[in-house]
Amino acid sequence: MGVPISQMATVTKYVLSQKLSGVKRYPLVLMLEPLFRCNLACAGCGKIQYPDHVLDKRLTVEQCLAAAEECGAPIVSIPGGEPMIHPEMPAIVRGLVAQERYIYLCTNAILMERKLDEYQPSKFLTFSVHMDGLKDEHDLAVCRDGVYDVAVKAIKAALKRGHRVTTNTTLFDDANPERVRKFFDAMMDLGVEGMMISPGYSYQKAPDQQHFLKRERTRELFSRILGSPKKAWQFNQSPLFLDFLMGRREYECTPWGNPTYNVFGWQKPCYLLQEGYAKTFRELMESTEWDHYGTGRNEKCADCMVHCGYEPSAVEDTFGTLSGFGRTVKLTMLPTSR
Amino acid sequence: MTDTKNHSTAGVTGSPEGRVFQPGSFNELAEAVELAFDYRGDVTVSLKSGESISGYLFNRQVSGPDSYLEVFPSDSAETRRIRYDQIATIAFTGADTATGKSWETWVSKKDSERQIEVERVAAEARTRGIL
Repeated sequence: MGVPISQMATVTKYVLSQKLSGVKRYPLVLMLEPLFRCNLACAGCGKIQYPDHVLDKRLTVEQCLAAAEECGAPIVSIPGGEPMIHPEMPAIVRGLVAQERYIYLCTNAILMERKLDEYQPSKFLTFSVHMDGLKDEHDLAVCRDGVYDVAVKAIKAALKRGHRVTTNTTLFDDANPERVRKFFDAMMDLGVEGMMISPGYSYQKAPDQQHFLKRERTRELFSRILGSPKKAWQFNQSPLFLDFLMGRREYECTPWGNPTYNVFGWQKPCYLLQEGYAKTFRELMESTEWDHYGTGRNEKCADCMVHCGYEPSAVEDTFGTLSGFGRTVKLTMLPTSR
Repeated sequence: MTDTKNHSTAGVTGSPEGRVFQPGSFNELAEAVELAFDYRGDVTVSLKSGESISGYLFNRQVSGPDSYLEVFPSDSAETRRIRYDQIATIAFTGADTATGKSWETWVSKKDSERQIEVERVAAEARTRGIL
């Protein structure tokens, strides 16, 4: 099973309490971006193109913890930029663990092994290591040779110390399904708890504009990759989201599911689009015109099938429909029955 | 709207880096602000009072006479809120960080040139202590 039972139970309790309270829109994962500075410049990334004085800005520990409290989501994903550059990241993580939130610290792992001593293993903390494929594919994607080997070494070191480790993988239209399957084998052989995969988003500011996936191509690619899954593969995400990527379920986007907080404030409307910023989480939820976003409603959303919009939709399906619940149970217990 | 290069925002293709917009109406000002909001470099906002603020325009709120924009000044940690009716010109003075790094350019470079660029980026990261 890709997600520990205690984490599943926490999410289940949270979602059911929101539903019983009649809350129509609720956050599932806080995307906390404490800085935009990175030590890589990946071709498909549109997150780091800012002037130096903006890249040098950091959210404080207090701002991060207050944002998590204000949002209330049971899971906090910390992307960036490269979060391990932030000198106060260990304190931010400790504070979030004290709040009993499940944290995914997303890292390219370049600094990870060097900084492992600063983090205590915990069921609430997972290092989510950016891995876009086997050595050749990953080093090409991050535009630097040797990063794959550094990440593998860091993963081994973290696992040895008892940390939870997952991988996060973004796929573009040049992905080779057979190579991706071999990559899954390699990651499971390393001993990671699970893997997260998603198609890339067509960032207007990313250097590589020609390899973003269109929806039909996304379904075809993920069907070929996931069509006959191996027993050893574990995914740290909703099985219904994987169904969606394969074209087996249709979802509307849930842009409020993964709200984003960064040095500019609460980002409207989602992790990928920047249409403006709100000062508070409540202002974000109340002032964003949610009906303007999603496939068929906004050209910027046309080809998007990214996890931050559609994984909350999959979770909603699990808890909102009998067929969704039944299929989630089946795929969780028997992942190869896909 | 007056643009020192004689273009309106609607006609702007590619990066507006280096351009100066002197809006003649609220709508033209709103267009220029949208362009600046989408720009990944610093801008310089000159006010009718004679003051100039250089920095990154990260937010704006358009609501008639109460419209405002927000800037992270390049020389200050505090954000600055500026009402639209205070603005005289908007200049795209900082380098556009989202241009000149295209994937095609990267791929078409010779291996040796790519290696030099990788080393340059790595050296900069080392200087900052983040590699």
